[in-house]
Amino acid sequence: MNRVFKFSFMSVVYSFLYLPMIVLIVYSFNNSTYSLGWKGVTLSWYNELFSDFSLWEVALNSLTVAGISATFATALGSMSAVAFYRYSFRGKDFLYGLIYILIMAPEIVMGISFLILFVSLNIPLGFFTLLLAHITFCLPFVVVTVYSRMTGFDRNIIEAAKDLGASEFECFRLVILPLLMPGVVAGWLLSFTLSMDDVIISFFVTGPEFEILPLKIYSLVRMGVKPEINALCTILFGFTLAVVMIAQMLLKEKK
Amino acid sequence: MNRDGLFKRVSVNAIALWLVLFVLAPSVLVLASSLLTRGDAQLVRAPLTFENYRRIVDPLYLDIFLSSFYLAALSTLICLMVGYPFAYLLARTSPRYRRNLLLMVVIPFWTSSLVRTYAMIIILKTKGLLNSLLLWAGVIHEPLTILYTDAAVFVGLVYSLLPFMVLPIYASVEKLDSRLMEAARDLGASRAATFVRVVIPLTMPGIIAGSMLVFLPALGMFYIPDLLGGAKTLLIGNLIKNQFLSARDWPFGSAASVVLTLVMAVMLLVYYKSVRATRRQEPA
Amino acid sequence: MKKLLLAALALCASALLIAPPSFAAKDEKVLNIYNWAEYMPSEVLKKFTKETGIKVNYSTFDSNETMYAKLKALQGKGYDVVVPSTYFVNRMRKEGMLKPLDRSLLTNFGNLDPKLLNQPYDPNNEYSVPYLWGSTGIAVNTRIIPPGEVTKWADLWNPKFKNSILLLDDVRDVFSMALKVLGYSVNETDEGHIREAYEKLKELLPNVKVFNAETPKVFFIEEEVAVGMNWNGETFKAEKENKDIGYVYPKEGAGIWMDNMVIPAGAENVENAYVFMNFVLRPDVAKMICEGIGYATPNLEAIKLLPDAVRGNRTIYPSDDDLKNSEFQIDVGAAMPIYEKYWEMLKVGR
Repeated sequence: MNRVFKFSFMSVVYSFLYLPMIVLIVYSFNNSTYSLGWKGVTLSWYNELFSDFSLWEVALNSLTVAGISATFATALGSMSAVAFYRYSFRGKDFLYGLIYILIMAPEIVMGISFLILFVSLNIPLGFFTLLLAHITFCLPFVVVTVYSRMTGFDRNIIEAAKDLGASEFECFRLVILPLLMPGVVAGWLLSFTLSMDDVIISFFVTGPEFEILPLKIYSLVRMGVKPEINALCTILFGFTLAVVMIAQMLLKEKK
Repeated sequence: MNRDGLFKRVSVNAIALWLVLFVLAPSVLVLASSLLTRGDAQLVRAPLTFENYRRIVDPLYLDIFLSSFYLAALSTLICLMVGYPFAYLLARTSPRYRRNLLLMVVIPFWTSSLVRTYAMIIILKTKGLLNSLLLWAGVIHEPLTILYTDAAVFVGLVYSLLPFMVLPIYASVEKLDSRLMEAARDLGASRAATFVRVVIPLTMPGIIAGSMLVFLPALGMFYIPDLLGGAKTLLIGNLIKNQFLSARDWPFGSAASVVLTLVMAVMLLVYYKSVRATRRQEPA
Repeated sequence: MKKLLLAALALCASALLIAPPSFAAKDEKVLNIYNWAEYMPSEVLKKFTKETGIKVNYSTFDSNETMYAKLKALQGKGYDVVVPSTYFVNRMRKEGMLKPLDRSLLTNFGNLDPKLLNQPYDPNNEYSVPYLWGSTGIAVNTRIIPPGEVTKWADLWNPKFKNSILLLDDVRDVFSMALKVLGYSVNETDEGHIREAYEKLKELLPNVKVFNAETPKVFFIEEEVAVGMNWNGETFKAEKENKDIGYVYPKEGAGIWMDNMVIPAGAENVENAYVFMNFVLRPDVAKMICEGIGYATPNLEAIKLLPDAVRGNRTIYPSDDDLKNSEFQIDVGAAMPIYEKYWEMLKVGR
């Protein structure tokens, strides 16, 4: 494919993805309470943000939930994708069907049925229930992504490893997992994204003592996007970029 | 051999336990309530009835289902048209940049989708950025009405679902053995033929996975259509939400949700069957 | 790729170390409040904690319906003070979800406007204490639409407004408007009358540009729409940004609603809930809330403290004449699915 075409196509898609981000960042400096019109530059939203600690606490809560649930869902999901692909066992189709039900269920139904489940199991609502729910709704996204990476995989490689004396676990860790890695990473990224953005399910399964960012943002946005939210999103966005860049640099040095 | 059995047992049991507890149990709750009757004070009550399912057959709900399907299908198609070439090019860039580029696809999505949708409104509204830009450039002379039309809804849906198409396709293109393509070329296939006969079939699992991860969530979505489309149409997502919240008719809401799940399941099944049938006909 | 994953793992591990999920210590005095988003200035909560030493967990909901669904599933446990609207007080009261109030613990109750007490949704205010109130009327941009052209709900049906009005995205509000135009009560339960309202609304559809319940004010400020339904508090905020916007109390009668503090039947920190409710009833606190939020306070002593500009603003404090024919919405019980059915038909365009 033509180099120029390739470069311009990718740039167009990236600009599409980043345009709203840029608007959001620019508007975080907008001197107007109802952020839709441009009324000059101000830093007051950042000032307000730094004097309001509750938002920071809530942001950290969210990162914690998203980080743990994405990691757990990725571990469990990759393991199950491998199991679904390699083994035959009783009830396999049934379990795979459950995974599809999970993707298909409307969020509001899932949220309410989780709530009823937790109440009937007598689990107090809060951090823990939020985690269980998030792991569950991230799970199918990992399974599907990893499974699609695995199909068409040369089974002979696994057989060869086993012939050479690898145990099932060693086979998973040393042969299968490295080959699946791009799928696993993609699954983790999807899960983290989903968890950071979920409003409806979280609304039902969290308790008064544990608030997370998407819910907080949702409740603030309902009254018109406050530029304070734009400022917060800008800072979080900058923070993510910085962490990613530092991680990249560190990894490069190791090589 | 004993240890091998252990690994299999642990992984199978872990997933089985999780799914039964957190998916099967709630699904049974939903199914059960879909067979009950609306109660005024206690949400659901006896007697058992199929009334809720009979109500769904009403042409009113058929219309709602159809317009939601249309919206989801078209968004999936657009996502695929944009996402496939994008994921393909991404997976074919040099490994040095690849992982940064991949991360750059998801990073915007770590910011609340609601906030980004509002940013989209700033761009698309009558006195918005897009119209100002076009007016300034002299392309148009009257501001276009984009916001609160179907076009805005599609832009919003594609925007928020694109990574769910890109990531699975990326994962399957990335493992593509470039020697297969070279072989096809050496055997005299044109670039286009190589792509259609070799690349697409080999990345089919990624295409299917991506389309599913876009289509299924798009069906139940209602925030984006409401915000960008002006809430003028009713989608399945709205219908189910209204039944659970404002009408407080949990049995009917559950029934609608069960039917939605069944319809999607049938579609998936038909799809898989047809894929398998065509595969068998093709020479290996 | 593997290293990337490791880096990501390290990142979330470090996030964990920085922010161990905080759980309140058992012996700490706490109060769990469940209120509308942005409906209480944070200074009020800080002041409360400073004066009483009670830690407040403030959670928010976005509609009466979601609050109700959650409380119902929790069987009334988990929250100590909740702020539902009138018609939900009505319903929750009927279903035994609320605790009857001990008036002797609410020494500031006498500050409230007697006109807003003892309403049909909760006779004698056995279960609820008014918090803030407001109305649903029409917002008009007088630069685009000459004053006097829109004075009643029926004026929205004018063919001149094709594809240009805003309706609130709320079943009850929209049907209340049509029922008022037809001369019925907003709490109609008769299916025939509801169907008439639906037929009437169908005629209005070509005029509708957008349904919105999140931020109607923004549409008016930005002049995306020039006329439409709106709440008075939202219009008050819009007026501040765009001085051409005005608020009209429709002749057929505006909708009025009030949000009320209640204690759920399963509340665990009841004493603290009373302390808080009495705190909110104090004139200085009620004044803070009214000024911060922009809706009308039912607290007469607090109104005396307000600056004239706020007290005399008809958008916030209507005259008795403005509210002639207005009604409080109450729970319509089993008729709700009928409303919902016609709402669905309306939106599908049948």
